[in-house]
Amino acid sequence: MTASTLSTRPPDADPAQARPAESRRERRKREQLEERDAVIPVELYGLKRGTVTVLTACCVLFAIFTLVPIAWIIFNSTKTQANIFGTFGFWFARPFEFFHNFRMLFENVDDDGTYIDWFGNTALYAVLGGVGATALSAFAGYGFARFEFRGSKVLFYIVIGSLLVPIGAITLPLYLVYSKAHLINSIWGMILPSLVAPVGVYLMRTYIRLSVPRELLDAARLDGASEMRIFFRIALPLMVPGLMTVLLLSVVGVWNNYFLPLIIFSNNNLFPLTVGMGLWSQHATTSGDQNLYPLIVMGGLVTIAPLIILFLILQRYWRGGLLLGSIAN
Amino acid sequence: MAAISIRELTKVYATGVRALDGLDLEVLDGEFVVLVGPSGCGKTTALRMVAGLERITSGTVSFGDRVVNDVSPRHRDVAMVFQNYALYPHLSVYQNIGFALENKKIEKAERDRQIRIAAATLGLGDLLGRKPDQLSGGQRQRVAMGRAIVRSPSVFLMDEPLSNLDAKLRVQMRSEVLRVHRSIGAATLYVTHDQTEAMTMGDRVAVLQGGVLQQYDTPRALYDRPANVFVATFIGSPSMNLYEAGLSTDGTAGTTPTVVLGSQRLPLPPPVAARVAAYQGRKVIVGVRPEDLAVSGAGASGLGAPGVSAAGASWTGASAAGAPGLVADVRLVEVLGSEQHVYFSVDATPAASAPGAAAAADESAQEGILLGGAPNGVARLDPGSGVRPGGRVTFAVNPARLYFFDPDTGRAISLLSDWPLGLAGERRSKRAASCN
Repeated sequence: MTASTLSTRPPDADPAQARPAESRRERRKREQLEERDAVIPVELYGLKRGTVTVLTACCVLFAIFTLVPIAWIIFNSTKTQANIFGTFGFWFARPFEFFHNFRMLFENVDDDGTYIDWFGNTALYAVLGGVGATALSAFAGYGFARFEFRGSKVLFYIVIGSLLVPIGAITLPLYLVYSKAHLINSIWGMILPSLVAPVGVYLMRTYIRLSVPRELLDAARLDGASEMRIFFRIALPLMVPGLMTVLLLSVVGVWNNYFLPLIIFSNNNLFPLTVGMGLWSQHATTSGDQNLYPLIVMGGLVTIAPLIILFLILQRYWRGGLLLGSIAN
Repeated sequence: MAAISIRELTKVYATGVRALDGLDLEVLDGEFVVLVGPSGCGKTTALRMVAGLERITSGTVSFGDRVVNDVSPRHRDVAMVFQNYALYPHLSVYQNIGFALENKKIEKAERDRQIRIAAATLGLGDLLGRKPDQLSGGQRQRVAMGRAIVRSPSVFLMDEPLSNLDAKLRVQMRSEVLRVHRSIGAATLYVTHDQTEAMTMGDRVAVLQGGVLQQYDTPRALYDRPANVFVATFIGSPSMNLYEAGLSTDGTAGTTPTVVLGSQRLPLPPPVAARVAAYQGRKVIVGVRPEDLAVSGAGASGLGAPGVSAAGASWTGASAAGAPGLVADVRLVEVLGSEQHVYFSVDATPAASAPGAAAAADESAQEGILLGGAPNGVARLDPGSGVRPGGRVTFAVNPARLYFFDPDTGRAISLLSDWPLGLAGERRSKRAASCN
């Protein structure tokens, strides 16, 4: 990991002298340039130009395939219900109703509930569930990665094995357990299961094994730190990029969860966006008296926006090299 | 009272591998003890058990008169420098050094004072604000030392702290480590696989092989009186030459006992003969250090040198220098500037030395172009010796500088301690002084 970086300079040259204190912008610039230097021309991979063109074309096609629905939702969020069905889907049409559609999200439609309330619910569930799941993944992953204890392997396989159980298979028992535990129509019924993230545990275990060296923990132990302090002061900062990945995955998981809230919530005021918009969508097809389709399209756009923003915010944590300089190799 | 006492320390892994077998070791207060041995000899395992990072299978580790077997590492008051430094990458140099003091809940002003003293000791004053990735290898090494010394520990452990540095810096840091050791005076246990480091740094050196302590003594004693074949080959560079030989009395020199080495014979003077009297008529392993070989007087090089019969190379009774000679064919000459390493072959069987000895042997023998067959010996000569590859040479051998080992046990037969140092001995000590 650090070997390539280290070998480019003489063994005892002062790296900081060659690289004086730099602002964040300068650093980003330098990293961009270094990245460009690291690019290897395709010829050196032994690929022909023609092959590269074909492969690139395939990638472009796939990208279009992925982006088409997003483009569609953006265009159609500006339209009236009539235009959604009556005009070309991949261009704008008059009248431009974007702001009107947006305003409508704040109104109680058909007495089903308000979009903005559902948005708040979703955000609450996602933040509590996502942050909680990330924290638990960090604890569990650290335990599995860095401690030897009896049964650790078996426990880990149980955690991983729970991934294989489809939610549909446990719907009925889940509902029965929930009703006994008074978790039906309770936000905890939504949040508690969201805290369980086997993928997060697995990811954190792998990440910690790679990025939190045993020696560092040993050094901290000899430095007289308690295990708590070692976790929070030494290990946790090194886990940040991995944690951000798990956070994003679990927030998205809760945000998009449809099935769990569908079975545990019957009170419209507790609905998350997924269930609320599902309700709209049903009404749109059955009654059709309201102009519900523009609302659904606009609602969809507003639903995905926070996730895109979250991704953009978190991506700066996906920078390698956090461990640089700690371990010589 | 010893600062660190290790008694019968044994480590057996779950796989059944016996990493360490009954190690007994004492480190006195303020002493610098080096644990040395080839990789996999158990030295790091021993160190980690002293630190408390590895569970002890049996035996005890005591600091002072307190057995610490069941004391957690954080309560042992042990400082350790790791091979790969193990600096906290997200903390500055200042925070790295201060972490242990923070854990001890030392007040901020006092902490600051101690951090700055430690940093000053190691010349890190200007680097306190930097992160480890902005430091060079040598600076990182110093931070690792700083982190250890700031706590004024009673026990100081170092696990190959210099092995990640380049050769030049390593030599420089050797004296740096010793200087720091003297200034803090803590009992130090230092692990290395490098015999040069062990010889130059240790007050006493423990040689480990296969989890078993081979010898624990001063560097000088290890060199002069190796307890067995392994220590003999491990200590000293290039390694000692070892040959299978016989001891007989019925040689050409009448009643004088002789070493029979292949077709060559070397008479032993009475004091030497007395030491090996018990092995009269039996097989032994005879060892001679490369630095104890010197080109004897006339006819230093070239085929058909005077006094040497081209056909049957033999120990000559007395060469021009007055010492017995060993005739050898030169295969390879490595010029190092201040000295030459001359790889030669003699018509004797090299001893199948103790396991691991081959790994310890100078690898440079494999480099370079070899003329006619693999060499089975090496001599360390002055650069002006005029020896050339392909030539035949007679080495003067001082019988007093020969080492004898039991071929079955590998143990030393007699000790060289009270033997008069010959010409070679003086030369060697001069060398030892110059290469430190």
